[in-house]
Amino acid sequence: METEVQQNQAQQETDPTPESAVKHLLSFALMIGLTLVAFAAVMLEVVPAGMVIPFILVLAVIQVFLQLFTFMHLDLKNNRMTVTFVMMGLIIGAICAVALFVLG
Amino acid sequence: MATLVILIVFALFLTAIWTGGYDKQLLNRFRSHWLWDWITTVDHKKIGILYLIGGAFFFIIGGIEALLIRIQLLVPNNDFMVGDTFNELLSMHGTTMIFFVAMPLLFALMNVAVPLQIGARDVAFPFLNSLGFWLFLAGGILMNLSWIFGNAPDAGWTNYVPIASNEFSPGTGIDYYVLGLQISGIGTTMGGINFLVTIINMRAPGMSLLRMPMFTWTSFVASSLILFGFPPLTAGLFLVMFERLFGANFFDVAMGGNPVIWQHLFWIFGHPEVYIVILPAFGVMSDVISNFSKKRLFGYTSMVFATILIGFLGFMVWAHHMFTVGMGPVANSIFAVATMAIAVPTGIKVFNWLFTMWGGKIRFTTAMLWAVGFIPTFVMGGVTGVMLASPPADYQYHDSYFVVAHFHYVLIGGTVFGIFAGLYYWWPKMFGHKLGETLGKWHFGLFFIGFHLTFFIQHFIGLYGMPRRHFTYQPEDGLTTLNQISTVGAFFMAAGTIVWLINIIKSARSAIPAGNDPWDGRTLEWAISSPAPEYNFAQLPQVRSLDAFWFEKMEGNKKMIPAEPLGPIHMPSSTHWPFIMTIGFFISGLGFVFRSLEVGVLGLILVFLTMFIRSFEQDHGYHIELDEIEKTEKGANA
Repeated sequence: METEVQQNQAQQETDPTPESAVKHLLSFALMIGLTLVAFAAVMLEVVPAGMVIPFILVLAVIQVFLQLFTFMHLDLKNNRMTVTFVMMGLIIGAICAVALFVLG
Repeated sequence: MATLVILIVFALFLTAIWTGGYDKQLLNRFRSHWLWDWITTVDHKKIGILYLIGGAFFFIIGGIEALLIRIQLLVPNNDFMVGDTFNELLSMHGTTMIFFVAMPLLFALMNVAVPLQIGARDVAFPFLNSLGFWLFLAGGILMNLSWIFGNAPDAGWTNYVPIASNEFSPGTGIDYYVLGLQISGIGTTMGGINFLVTIINMRAPGMSLLRMPMFTWTSFVASSLILFGFPPLTAGLFLVMFERLFGANFFDVAMGGNPVIWQHLFWIFGHPEVYIVILPAFGVMSDVISNFSKKRLFGYTSMVFATILIGFLGFMVWAHHMFTVGMGPVANSIFAVATMAIAVPTGIKVFNWLFTMWGGKIRFTTAMLWAVGFIPTFVMGGVTGVMLASPPADYQYHDSYFVVAHFHYVLIGGTVFGIFAGLYYWWPKMFGHKLGETLGKWHFGLFFIGFHLTFFIQHFIGLYGMPRRHFTYQPEDGLTTLNQISTVGAFFMAAGTIVWLINIIKSARSAIPAGNDPWDGRTLEWAISSPAPEYNFAQLPQVRSLDAFWFEKMEGNKKMIPAEPLGPIHMPSSTHWPFIMTIGFFISGLGFVFRSLEVGVLGLILVFLTMFIRSFEQDHGYHIELDEIEKTEKGANA
């Protein structure tokens, strides 16, 4: 009934905003690495005890930016909707975090 | 038990290998079966029907649980279902009705209507759509298996710790809750993201954001609430899971934990959740009321604004569920004021519906009856909501039947009425024939009367002091008659539901073709044949106004103006991977419930394996050729 047609490969190559798989894989590896470092910081006790939490927080901030720019596409042009949603998420997250800190 | 599960997993692996190409004949026999077609479908209309079947199934289960609860409360000191069994019933009733009835039934309507309303050929991620459905089903089945294995969740649908901790809920009951919700939550999140991307990216030419039908708008806002609301639940469920399975101490005060954290996380999710289930119902009502009043929706832009505002404020009010926790008067006041503020956009909506009907040419079809019945019912629920939002008063109402009455008024009077209105409205577009109007009116009448009989009286039961979630009361409490009235009402609702089921079977038996546009519709879905063809629109329509199809009708056009020439249509191919991936999740969930880490990990391995295969699978879909489209279109118009 249906004739199976392989979609034209050329269409993907002429994509207006090419995204390199290398960039994605690289930041993915970097994120896994950062997570492993965070675990190591707690489990191996190489970081002084008082510094563990600030150290992990710094790693977290780096990771957040990596996430936002490689996977949430904040670096792309023409991205009003993306920015709106990321900002909404940040606002709601911030409100909840502050409330939990104050009330919890 | 664990050995048994391992054996089942082993058998499943064997069948997978079997069907994986080693036995071509068996594989072909599977493939030609109609069930295979449904299991592997990525067509949003079929997935919508699957959601409908799943949701209706759990609706019946949840309804039976409700009836058992009401039978127990029929007479004082009844011993029909007492103690733990009653706790299990009420917990499962609440959880089932919210997560496995309201959500999937709304997803059913969204799947059926949203792509058609925006003039799209499918959703943005058909694979995720299918995966979302199967994960919901797996989660629901996993949780209901707890009945069969004799240990259901019994800590209420809110699952507060420490009641839900190992100490006070030994056994596996809560684990079913945690893992079932976790699995179905993944599916729901996927569904939400899918609809966001679909609505942002796949609108037909000319369909600007402010030309979208109201149902699409509310689905859009509800989807973003899913996106922001479900992660806190996921986090909270992980905390409970780690506490119960691996001995973590997030909630143990003696170890520096804090039990209130769960309440916060749950309600940061839970309050947006109630808007997730009410907003699409608002959208259905807007479309139905505008359609059957033969008028443009009054104050469309203010409706959109109100929807977004409700969605935003929905995240600022969660602590009003926790007034009696002891957060202090300042926090209570802030959340009280924020809660009362939500009454404003909701009020805008109610007035807009009334003004839409005012001066309209109203037709009281069954769908319209549900919509008209919804308005006063929902307003009553809203009024008690504002009453509950006042902390000093809430100290009196808290955990009494008054609260039960309030949220049933908004959830049944809002969501369930909305779902029924939507089902009667879109049934012809789903199946090609209408649901019977006569039986439909009986359905509405019985259900509507039964609903008010059951829950109106519960306001007073609550005010007279009966606490919720209690399995009995004393003869001298003076609550006997009131409770009996409530129970009778519950049976009326059950009768209404049975009429609905009869109606479905009867309409399907006679299957009188309804035609493309049975309601003289206004939006795009009525411009195509019923049931919609696989590819929805042979040519994407050019949208020139809000209520696009109505605009063309008024211009004297019988059809939408096409925005593109007729050509081959690219379709996604069916895939069985979502189903297999779900089996992996299900096995994993079952494994963790039975505290068998081996099985749990085994299931997750299957999940990652299917993810890996899926990632490297080269499948670009197929094209429906021109002659076939022409044949379908001719057949539909004949």
